[in-house]
Amino acid sequence: MLAFVKCFSLKRTKHPRGYEDPHVLASETPFTVNEIEALHDLYKKLSTSIIDDGLIHKEEFLLALFRNSSMQNLFADRVFYMFDRKRNGVIEFGEFVRSLSIFHPYTPEHEKSAFMFKLFDLHGTGFIEPHEKMVGALLGETDLELSEESIEAIVEQTMLEVDTNKDGKIDEEEWRELVAKNPSILKNMTLPYLKEVTLAFPSFVLDSEVDD
Amino acid sequence: MEESNRSTVLFDKYNIGRLLGTGNFAKVYHGTEISTGDDVAIKVIKKDHAFKRRGMMEQIEREIAVMRLLRHPNVVELREVMATKKKIFFVMEYVNGGELFEMIERDGQLPEDLARKYFQQLISAVDFCHSRGVFHRDIKPENLLLDGEGDLKVTDFGLSALMMPEGLGGRRGSSDDLLHTRCGTPAYVAPEVLRNKGYDGAMADIWSCGIVLYALLAGFLPFIDENVMTLYTKIFKAECEFPPWFSLESKELLSRLLVPDPEQRISMSEIKMIPWFRKNFTPPVAFSIDETIPSPPEPPAKKKKKDLNKEEDDGVSPRSFNAFQFITSMSSGFDLSNLFEIKRKPKRMFTSKLPAKSVKERLETAAREMNMRVKHVKDCKMKLQRRTEGRKGRLSVTAEVFEVAPEVSVVEFCKSSGDTLEYYLFCEDDVRPALKDIVWSWQGDDDEDDVTTNDNVNTNDNKITNIS
Repeated sequence: MLAFVKCFSLKRTKHPRGYEDPHVLASETPFTVNEIEALHDLYKKLSTSIIDDGLIHKEEFLLALFRNSSMQNLFADRVFYMFDRKRNGVIEFGEFVRSLSIFHPYTPEHEKSAFMFKLFDLHGTGFIEPHEKMVGALLGETDLELSEESIEAIVEQTMLEVDTNKDGKIDEEEWRELVAKNPSILKNMTLPYLKEVTLAFPSFVLDSEVDD
Repeated sequence: MEESNRSTVLFDKYNIGRLLGTGNFAKVYHGTEISTGDDVAIKVIKKDHAFKRRGMMEQIEREIAVMRLLRHPNVVELREVMATKKKIFFVMEYVNGGELFEMIERDGQLPEDLARKYFQQLISAVDFCHSRGVFHRDIKPENLLLDGEGDLKVTDFGLSALMMPEGLGGRRGSSDDLLHTRCGTPAYVAPEVLRNKGYDGAMADIWSCGIVLYALLAGFLPFIDENVMTLYTKIFKAECEFPPWFSLESKELLSRLLVPDPEQRISMSEIKMIPWFRKNFTPPVAFSIDETIPSPPEPPAKKKKKDLNKEEDDGVSPRSFNAFQFITSMSSGFDLSNLFEIKRKPKRMFTSKLPAKSVKERLETAAREMNMRVKHVKDCKMKLQRRTEGRKGRLSVTAEVFEVAPEVSVVEFCKSSGDTLEYYLFCEDDVRPALKDIVWSWQGDDDEDDVTTNDNVNTNDNKITNIS
């Protein structure tokens, strides 16, 4: 208990829990140290919106995405799961930066494509299996409400196009072909905005810790 | 970064080279982005200078956020900001043609056509920024640059707090301060600004544009006097003479620009209507970075052209839209830009329960009713263009109809050229009501878009105005 208190008060003095040195993160990602400081400003906003503990909880993530913390959304769940690399139920700052770096305009397409494949590979089997009704469920929660029949028709049509070896599921090779044919699928994997985070969250200019 | 070390590397990203200029609080260096080789100008400000004035840092922070909104061919772009413990770096587009007024100092007054061209570009830039709720408040010779093509670029837009001395544009200072820090002359400053009361930033900018126009045509400034008090009096009365070579039309325009009472001064929209202004006017064309979302590379057409005619005798063959395209474009659970609180989404989509062919026909009819030119790019893809000029040229929009399932089609709109704000209004005020009866559902139908952002900016801006 004492150790806990000690630890807690120690961390409070400087940086919130889960904080990582921007220099380390900058060396692993396309971001500059300043960009990481700017992202930290965003991270602080997101991670204190509901529970003020400096970590992004699922509810906070949903709140940011949908303006609604109890939104049921399979896709958002998957994205959260992918960001939460340590699988401890929260997104720490380092996880936030490393995951967002995949969305950076300078990140190669194949990394983006692989991230997306994993997003759809619900059970980590190495396949996207539309028979699990996964695609259908995702389609069903898009902003439109589609009828069961339309969803089935769309899935069927898609499998006809993608599943070239006809085993009823999509492997990585088939996925790569699909993406090559329809690059617009990766559209959401690039946030042009990440190139201008220093302009969007400029408060770091006041308290940057970069030495001169 | 002292002058002694000639070449310094900034954050492994930019090489800093020669000193380009020194301002009140800032030094400007030439720089090169290491990865791209792009030329940039890097303005370096020491924090202790900025900290001296209360509230200054907060204002800098806010103004950076504002400048992000300003992307226009005649406005120098702020690319990013960087900082260390002691300094702030503004990385800006590098403009290499020198200052506009060096040209006047060298060659004297400009021919009317050339003066008009620069004035048109100045007005385009200023009008654009005003439409985003940003006022310059310090339009003056040093802020008007020329690029390699001889086009005008306005710099320091939105950085008024940073670049402006105390007493102007916000904080009250004694008049002594004002004259000292103003490095010379208030010759460009509107009377209401000199009076140091609350003022309308837009009208003050228009006054300064008038001074610039006069100087371009005359080769000298309209209000000059050795004695500062006399100078003030001249400005308050807008007392100036037009040289004999001024044309009648330019004199008419100038006498509406240089009006001491801001309420009687000509407005931006009135300037744009004046025949003298409109002569040979080519509005700047929007460039691609204006789009928040880059248009994806054209996916290869699924079917060969030849098969098309065989399959469909009516000549309408929408491309199909597979499940993954559908999910990724329509699911807001996968639109992480929402994390950044940006609501700028110039791309718009809706679904319809009508077959693609009927949707396409309805789109065409609606476009014609909106008096737009319709050009077919492909069977189910068309380009719609306004017949009137906008802030960044004619608004032009691409619309494509996809077939998702037998009874579901998707329509995707995408701005090809023109002003983003005009595009937003076009989507909201024209397209949505016109297509109401064929739309089943719009993509992400709860967003508020950048108009909201602009309102915020406006509000903030009014705040600064009122403090003074």
